Amino acid sequence: MSFTAKLANIDRRVFYWILFIALMVPFLSPIGFPLSVAENTRDLYDGITGDNVEPGDVWIINFGYGVSAWSECHPGVTVCTKALFREDAKIIFMGPHYDVHLTYNKLQTTAAADFAGKVYGEDYVFLGYITGGEAAITQLASDMRSVYPNDYFGTDLDDIPMMADVNGWRDIDGVLSSDTGDWGSYFLRQWQGPHGTRLAQIGIAMLGSTGIPLWLAGNYFGMSVGSRGGAELEILINELGEATTSMDSISVSHLLIVIAVILANIGVLTERRES
Amino acid sequence: MAYPTAMWDVIGLWTGWVLMLMIYSYPLYKENPVYRTAEYMFIGMMLAINVVTNFSNVVRICITPMMGGDFLMIVPLILGIMIYTMLIPEYRWVSRYPVALLVGAGFGLGIRGTIAPNIQDAIISTITAPSDGGMMAWINFLYIAVGLICSMMYFLLTFEHTGPLKAPTRIGRLFIMIALGAYFGNTVLFRFTMLTGRAQFFLQVLKLIPM
Amino acid sequence: MSQILKREVVYAFTGLVTVIMFVDYFFFVDGWGFAETVRTWAVIVFNISLGLGAVQLLRQSAMNIQRKRSNYGFSALLVATFAIMLLTGLAGYAATGQMTDNAIYNWLFNNMYTPLGATLYPITGFYIFSAAYRSFRARNIDAALMLIAGCFVILSNAPVGEAIWPGFATIGEWFRFTGQIPGMRTFAMVGSLGMIAYGFRALLGKERGFYAGGGEE
Repeated sequence: MSFTAKLANIDRRVFYWILFIALMVPFLSPIGFPLSVAENTRDLYDGITGDNVEPGDVWIINFGYGVSAWSECHPGVTVCTKALFREDAKIIFMGPHYDVHLTYNKLQTTAAADFAGKVYGEDYVFLGYITGGEAAITQLASDMRSVYPNDYFGTDLDDIPMMADVNGWRDIDGVLSSDTGDWGSYFLRQWQGPHGTRLAQIGIAMLGSTGIPLWLAGNYFGMSVGSRGGAELEILINELGEATTSMDSISVSHLLIVIAVILANIGVLTERRES
Repeated sequence: MAYPTAMWDVIGLWTGWVLMLMIYSYPLYKENPVYRTAEYMFIGMMLAINVVTNFSNVVRICITPMMGGDFLMIVPLILGIMIYTMLIPEYRWVSRYPVALLVGAGFGLGIRGTIAPNIQDAIISTITAPSDGGMMAWINFLYIAVGLICSMMYFLLTFEHTGPLKAPTRIGRLFIMIALGAYFGNTVLFRFTMLTGRAQFFLQVLKLIPM
Repeated sequence: MSQILKREVVYAFTGLVTVIMFVDYFFFVDGWGFAETVRTWAVIVFNISLGLGAVQLLRQSAMNIQRKRSNYGFSALLVATFAIMLLTGLAGYAATGQMTDNAIYNWLFNNMYTPLGATLYPITGFYIFSAAYRSFRARNIDAALMLIAGCFVILSNAPVGEAIWPGFATIGEWFRFTGQIPGMRTFAMVGSLGMIAYGFRALLGKERGFYAGGGEE
């Protein structure tokens, strides 16, 4: 059997074990590659800081990701929460995953210092789980109380000070949707499109492909793409965190896949030459 | 977040770690009863969480307002129950009414919302000439404009891709391949980041790195 | 009459709801109360319908157990975990209005459901790796273009690419901000046009796959 044929027939589990181990090594022995900040991430950060946010502005942060995508989306959400709180904006947290309360609890840990100075009900509120797809997001724009009569803890929205005058798109200054799926596009179609609400996405990397054209067209004022976007945001706010830590592991695994692809293609080229 | 100290939290952490290895036994070894056990437990729990979460949601947005005097809420409640006739073959047609409501609302909202951002703004962005950036900006502008026209032509499935359509559809296919390549690149980042999160958890439980 | 109730009235109902959504969008600047009511109904029906999958799967599992089909033990495990989670969740909900207030439910949710979910989805990462090795090959110009774009985006996404050669980041960025745009915009536009066409065909009763039984009985 030729070397190329042997290469082509390597048991897939060999790759899996290599990847499994390679992902862990950088955590034990960090490397610390430098990182540049992409324009779309900078636009997102600029859009939630400085003159673009007034004290008292009300923003929605949609946790459109579950625990499985924490490493992708959560660092970006953490930075955005910190940035908005530091501009004295008020934040409504919500999400369409069953484990949304775990994400909210984690955020209180990852942005603990910023939550410490804020009061629940006055500066932020957690509405909890939402479902109903596009119809629910449309209702959120027209009558928030029809999908959220009370917050996650059961308090009537009318009894929450910061929600007293908030019931639809007119009362919201911006939406940050952090997604693994379609919820960002629901906000796009039912909030940004018809009402011009400022919208940005803190999406998984796959959504970078579908979201970048929307950012270029001005539908999203900014966009963070996956854990890399999270790491870039951590650089912008000057507080390195989870995403920056994971970048070494990402580097090693990405290098591995490129090496694997090159090896496979060397095999193809050699075979072609031989034939 | 610090390493837990309470007994049940520590047991919980290790339970999660063991379950993780049970799932990993499938790709790293092969399909086996240990993996299946974890898989079936996950499905069972997910179904229950689905039922209780949505039940509490229905109580919150439908039953409570109905008890408070909004008697019109009986309509979606009945429509919702009607969907379960899907399980009874002779009355399956009844479930078409709630499905019709969902589909009608879905189409109505989807169609009305998609035109502006996904068609109109995309076209405007494509045909807006660059105001600065020099030669490279113009090359990119032409690349996107020509690429979009050719790629769109590739999806003209009502005509055979021959004659005058042959060259542009062929070029369009190449533009699509580039987009799919970039999409794959981003997919790699997403999938590997999720694996990275698990690798981190694996080491954290073993106290090899801080929580 | 029954045939009309089973087909034509259903199509008319779908069309009516769609038209209500259009009228609300195009004619009412501040929103139309009736359309909002219909949307709330849709949200509630959606919520209720999510239990359908659970019922169907439990029925299937119960049958597996009853007939002692192969691997029926796993079906029993599924039903058992479902029952424990359901009962503890409902107990928590009945007591305080929060499922997570039940200690058992909360423990199972945090320490079993969450790590299982957080591991099941990422294992696709392994398959991406072997898929890239086995199928990402430059066999012709189309595949070569896809391969080149993919590799540059991979290397620009990871900081190591930039560390090896800054050009990886520059070229990768070009693929992200320019190279992929025609294709991705095409997908968005074609998808939207497809949805519009499909929607209108459904309104005319020409697409019936989503109605139970395909609208045939």
